[in-house]
This record gives sequence, structure tokens and C-alpha cells, in this order.
Amino acid sequence: MEKEKNEPFIIERTYDAPLKKVWKAITDKDEMKHWYFSLPEFRAEVGFEFRFVGGPSPEKQYLHICVVTEVIPEKKLTYSWRYDGYEGNSFVTFELFAVGNKTRVVLTHRGLETFPAGNPDFAKGNFSVGWTHIIGTALKEFSEKK
Amino acid sequence: MRRDVFQAIADPTRREIIKLVARRHVNINEVADNFKISRPAISKHIRILTECGLIVVRQQGRERFCESNPHKLNEVSDWVEQYRKIWTTKLDALGDYLKKIQSGPKSKNKIKKNGKRKK
Repeated sequence: MEKEKNEPFIIERTYDAPLKKVWKAITDKDEMKHWYFSLPEFRAEVGFEFRFVGGPSPEKQYLHICVVTEVIPEKKLTYSWRYDGYEGNSFVTFELFAVGNKTRVVLTHRGLETFPAGNPDFAKGNFSVGWTHIIGTALKEFSEKK
Repeated sequence: MRRDVFQAIADPTRREIIKLVARRHVNINEVADNFKISRPAISKHIRILTECGLIVVRQQGRERFCESNPHKLNEVSDWVEQYRKIWTTKLDALGDYLKKIQSGPKSKNKIKKNGKRKK
């Protein structure tokens, strides 16, 4: 039996700003609206729920429903992230690391494989297994071949 | 039953086959030699992978070779790509925003109202 390893989606950035400022920018609704989404309210507290409409393109807009699941002030913020009316649930984590006067932000999006691929032809249930695995391994090999 | 890429890669044996043929064209017998399961079972996996377009089987003389069709895996990567796009856009915007607020207060601090530098 092969052990399933779901590789979550990870993206990193280093910002020329002190950690406190970056933390405030990702947790204060008045700052979030400048770069993220406009929320009527946001609190970095476990259990806080927020919703917003967004999507990859103007014709593809979804109501996002998110609940804060983990907060370590100025270090880590996690909230669930799902789409109203669709199955599946994922988790978005922001982790902050001070690098001198700069701040490294590591964003991890786990559980993308729980969403249906938005294509009715895709067999339900099959979607959740293996694709993240293949992205981490075979896909790299495929793309190197191109 | 319709075949799709996501279904095809849901099975660990099929993922192994994909990885095997991703690197080079592999003779079908050689594919089977890599696994403990029966040859008919391997044939069935190869058939599924062929049906959904992930691999192509070509006859070369008396031998049959499997080769991968990388474009088909794009269906999978496209799915992830939309998230890459979302987060790249957002994190870039965060960078721009931080730059803006950094330069704002700084210039205010340098010179006080009376024109003298801060002590």
C-alpha cells in the first residue's frame, strides 16, 4: 500500500516591511480591503466567520464562506475556505517569519482536492484522490519533458 | 462510464505507470515487469490511461510501447493554476499595499511640523 501524500499548494513572498505591519495588513479589515477582499468585519479569533464574493473571472464568482480556525498572533492565521453550494472544504494558512526588518509570508492552501473540479463530467469521489500527489511528482517530470 | 484524468490518477498503480512512462517510452512488457499485480490487471490500467488520453500506446515492429501525453495532465495543473493565479494576485497586491504604507509614514517622520528633524 502506497502512503498518500497530499502536497498542499504553497506560495511564499518576502516583504520589505516589519512583521507587525504585515500581520496588521492581513488581519485588519480596513487594511485588508486595500489588497484582499472588502469585509464588513474581520476578527482574528478562532470561530469568527466571514463571507465574501470573489472568483477567478467576472463570470465565475462564488460566495466564499470562511471560518477562522487557528490564530497565533503575529505568527500564524488559518481559516477554512469553502464555496457556498459546493461540496468540499479547504484551509488557508498565512505564516509570518521575521527576516531582519523584512517579513517572509508563507501561504498554504490545503484541501483543494476536496472540491469538485467544476466540471460535471468529472466523476464524484474520484477527484479527491491522487491529483495533488501527481502534481508534486509526475507533473514535474512531464513538464521537464516538454 | 466516462473516463477522466482525475479518475485515472486516483489509482496508485496508474500513477506509478504514468511516472514510469513520463521519463521515456517503455515497452508494455517492461511496464508489467515493474508491478507485482497480474498482467491482465496492468493491461486494464493501461487501457484506462489510454482511454482518458494520458498515455498513448504505439506499435513499433513486434513491440508495443507506452508514451505519455503530457498535455492531458494540464487538466489537472489548470485546476491548481487558478489558485496559483488567485494567490499570486493577492500577495502581489499585499506587497504593493505594504510598500505604499511604508513610504507614507516614513516621509512624515523625517521632518516634523516645525521643519526640524526628530531627536
